[in-house]
Amino acid sequence: MKTPLLLLPLLAVTVGLAEADDKYAIKAGTVLTMAGDPITNGVIVIEGGRITAIGSADEVKIPWDAAVLDASDLTAAPGFVEAYTSSGMDRPNENVELAPYLNIRDSIDPVSFYFEDSLRAGVTTLNVQQGAACVIGGMGMVVQPFGLTVEEMLVRPNSGLIMSAAPKSGKSRATQAQALREAFGDLRRHLEQLVQEKRDGNDRARREALYQGRDLSGERGLGRAMVSDAWTVEGLELVPRGEIDEKMEPLLDVVEGTTDVYFYCGSPVDVHQALAIARDNGFLASTTLVLDASCWKAADLIKEAGVQVVLDPALTRTERDPRTGEEDEVFIPGVFAEKGITFALSSRNTTNESMWFQVATCIANGMSVEDAWAAATTSPAAMLGLDGRVGSLRKGADGDVVLYSGDPLSISSHVEFVVLDGKLVYDRSKDIRTKHLLEGIQPEGGSADEASDEGDK
Amino acid sequence: MLSLLLTAATLAPIPALGAEDTTQTSWNIHAERVYTGTGEVLKNALIAVEDGKIASIRPGRSAPEGAIQAKAITAGMIDLSVRVHGGFRSVEQAREIQPHLSVEPAIDLYDPAWKRLAASGITTALLSPMDRNVIGGHAVVLKTAGPEELAARKVTTPRPILRGAIGSEPSSGNHPAFGTPTDFYSRRPTTRMGVEWEWRKAFFDAVNAGGDESRDFPGAEELRSCLRGERLLIIQAWATQDIRTAIYLKEEMAREGFGNLDLVIDAAAEAWREPDFLTRNKTTIILPPFPAGGRTTDGAFLAWNRTAELAGMGVRMCLSSHGASNATEKLERQGAYARRAGLTFDQTLAAVTTNPAAVLGLSDQLGTVEVGRDADLVLWSGTPFEASSRVVGVLVAGELARDPR
Repeated sequence: MKTPLLLLPLLAVTVGLAEADDKYAIKAGTVLTMAGDPITNGVIVIEGGRITAIGSADEVKIPWDAAVLDASDLTAAPGFVEAYTSSGMDRPNENVELAPYLNIRDSIDPVSFYFEDSLRAGVTTLNVQQGAACVIGGMGMVVQPFGLTVEEMLVRPNSGLIMSAAPKSGKSRATQAQALREAFGDLRRHLEQLVQEKRDGNDRARREALYQGRDLSGERGLGRAMVSDAWTVEGLELVPRGEIDEKMEPLLDVVEGTTDVYFYCGSPVDVHQALAIARDNGFLASTTLVLDASCWKAADLIKEAGVQVVLDPALTRTERDPRTGEEDEVFIPGVFAEKGITFALSSRNTTNESMWFQVATCIANGMSVEDAWAAATTSPAAMLGLDGRVGSLRKGADGDVVLYSGDPLSISSHVEFVVLDGKLVYDRSKDIRTKHLLEGIQPEGGSADEASDEGDK
Repeated sequence: MLSLLLTAATLAPIPALGAEDTTQTSWNIHAERVYTGTGEVLKNALIAVEDGKIASIRPGRSAPEGAIQAKAITAGMIDLSVRVHGGFRSVEQAREIQPHLSVEPAIDLYDPAWKRLAASGITTALLSPMDRNVIGGHAVVLKTAGPEELAARKVTTPRPILRGAIGSEPSSGNHPAFGTPTDFYSRRPTTRMGVEWEWRKAFFDAVNAGGDESRDFPGAEELRSCLRGERLLIIQAWATQDIRTAIYLKEEMAREGFGNLDLVIDAAAEAWREPDFLTRNKTTIILPPFPAGGRTTDGAFLAWNRTAELAGMGVRMCLSSHGASNATEKLERQGAYARRAGLTFDQTLAAVTTNPAAVLGLSDQLGTVEVGRDADLVLWSGTPFEASSRVVGVLVAGELARDPR
């Protein structure tokens, strides 16, 4: 029996290229660092997965025992950072509308083509969140687009919960808002009940926790007073944290501000709802709005609330006056930049909406080169709490480097190599699927269709 | 050429500038680089536009006060596969073969799509009928901006342009009538084979009717004039088997001694699979918009990087947006994708300017930035067809369709 041919490109990428060397050095013609001026004839040394030295070839000595990638004719840059994506999962949307107790690690599909495409497009860090067709969805995580298991891909667990102010199918805006508020109302009632039961000497919650095998040792066995900017339940210090309903507890973390929230808004009116709910429940400071292209109209409100935003991949939006028929095209990042709102770009990995293309489009529309790059590297990195680790090349940062054939934003440049944590994980010359897509060359041994034809015989 | 430039320079008065008059057709325009389309790149050139024509081009000048300024200028882009019409209610569907009709009465000049097309840098468009019948009728060339009347916008071509389709599209709505026909679309052809048969039957019938008036039918004369080379024939064919069918049709007509079809293949996504079919007949192709994943209509697959190979083999190619005006599909982006697919800058520029102008037979009027040509100009924020630059201004026959200021 033949190996299923669809897997071949993946195997080539994973088995063929990964190197186990601890020390890795990259020589690049130009290094764009996003942490100062570009370096000509640069050297990047990575040890134990972190950058230990970066500078010009005169300043930085390559350790004698380091594996060297000589890319003297290429341009090195930090990988792009996706602050929010709902791709790369087995299924992006959970049917249960309130599911803050779920975790995306159970749904991420390491062999999804999405991650392969991310490498090709120079995206090296992704915050994967459940799709926004929910009321309150599961916990997301930050991954890198390489590895055969979710653990291998992990960059940062528990990146935040997803909530949606846009109506889930079958709901109206009113019932969506009601469901969101009800979730926090239920949390409050549950906590009050637990406190009351403790005061009454009722140990139902404890027996239930023990029956379910929950951890009640250490911190979990202790009560802690509730801390929140918005509302608190008096006496919660009486209730050991391990006795709180597991389905409710993630929301308590939200109200206490220890869990970040990605709040999706499908229209400007949703921004009002999202901000009001975040304010009323004390998590405005830990909220990032994920915006549909139409939401630029709520920019003033967003500025006033002081929250950061992730923009839609569509960077321009045309709206038509229904009476005169006149059309107006709005360049969305420009609106947010002008107001001084921190924003991150997002992409879809296709040629016309990849991160590099998004950055180039911002420059084409008059944004400065520095600001445009920041919106796809350092800004999203800071949103994900990974400032200094990803999004820029500097000492101490993760050893994630993308090497381009020329200026990363030029239309004729390509990603030639990707290094993640000091390991070469992508080499364009060995990328069979790219050859298939762009050159029309069938992988050796025939196409997947031919293989399945044989199976029929 | 140079002497012509200099003469024009001395004679051309600097036109006065009106403030907000959109119908003004005389301007002074200055650009750091003017890509003329003749192989020249003029630096710091001042272009004087008068009454909708280019009156003079003077390189090495600084921008005078009041001049419109841009980083770069190219000739206006020409898209040979655009549809702006009222759909099924406007474009005739009653017959499979209707070479006697034209799409002209179906064109809606009040459609907001025109403004989008002009703003995207397309200054001239070939308006085609829908491809739901086999030979849909005549296409017409229009400027994308100007008064809302056909007479003012129409560009007369030396030869009329007939348009048809091969592939699954012309038969896609039809179904066989079992017993009594139930509707308008209970008819043939219902397959690719049937479409091919319709093409051949139409030409054979037209040739036979040439000697026998009793067998004449509407459109027969138009088909015969196609065979005499007096009309251009554009056939839409996405997949390689449909491109073959088009080429075989042309070769069959020549073999039978019926005549020589002047053939252009539109939406030739799979042209790269069998380029010798195109080179042996010197057939021009119009590429469809580059698809993100390679897959296009009719199950065809466009392998981006093979485009350069086709161009290298001397296949004359044009790019098209298919009339799309959204940010990621418009014609300026198609130029960028062509660059990404390996076309040189000059090949890319030619594919949206001089090549389509030559297809239309209007090389003396459109496609280059030269004195005496229509003042169809595109103003760019940087190097054309780069991801980090875009169209910022457009002149259509001297009218400022998109103001860069």
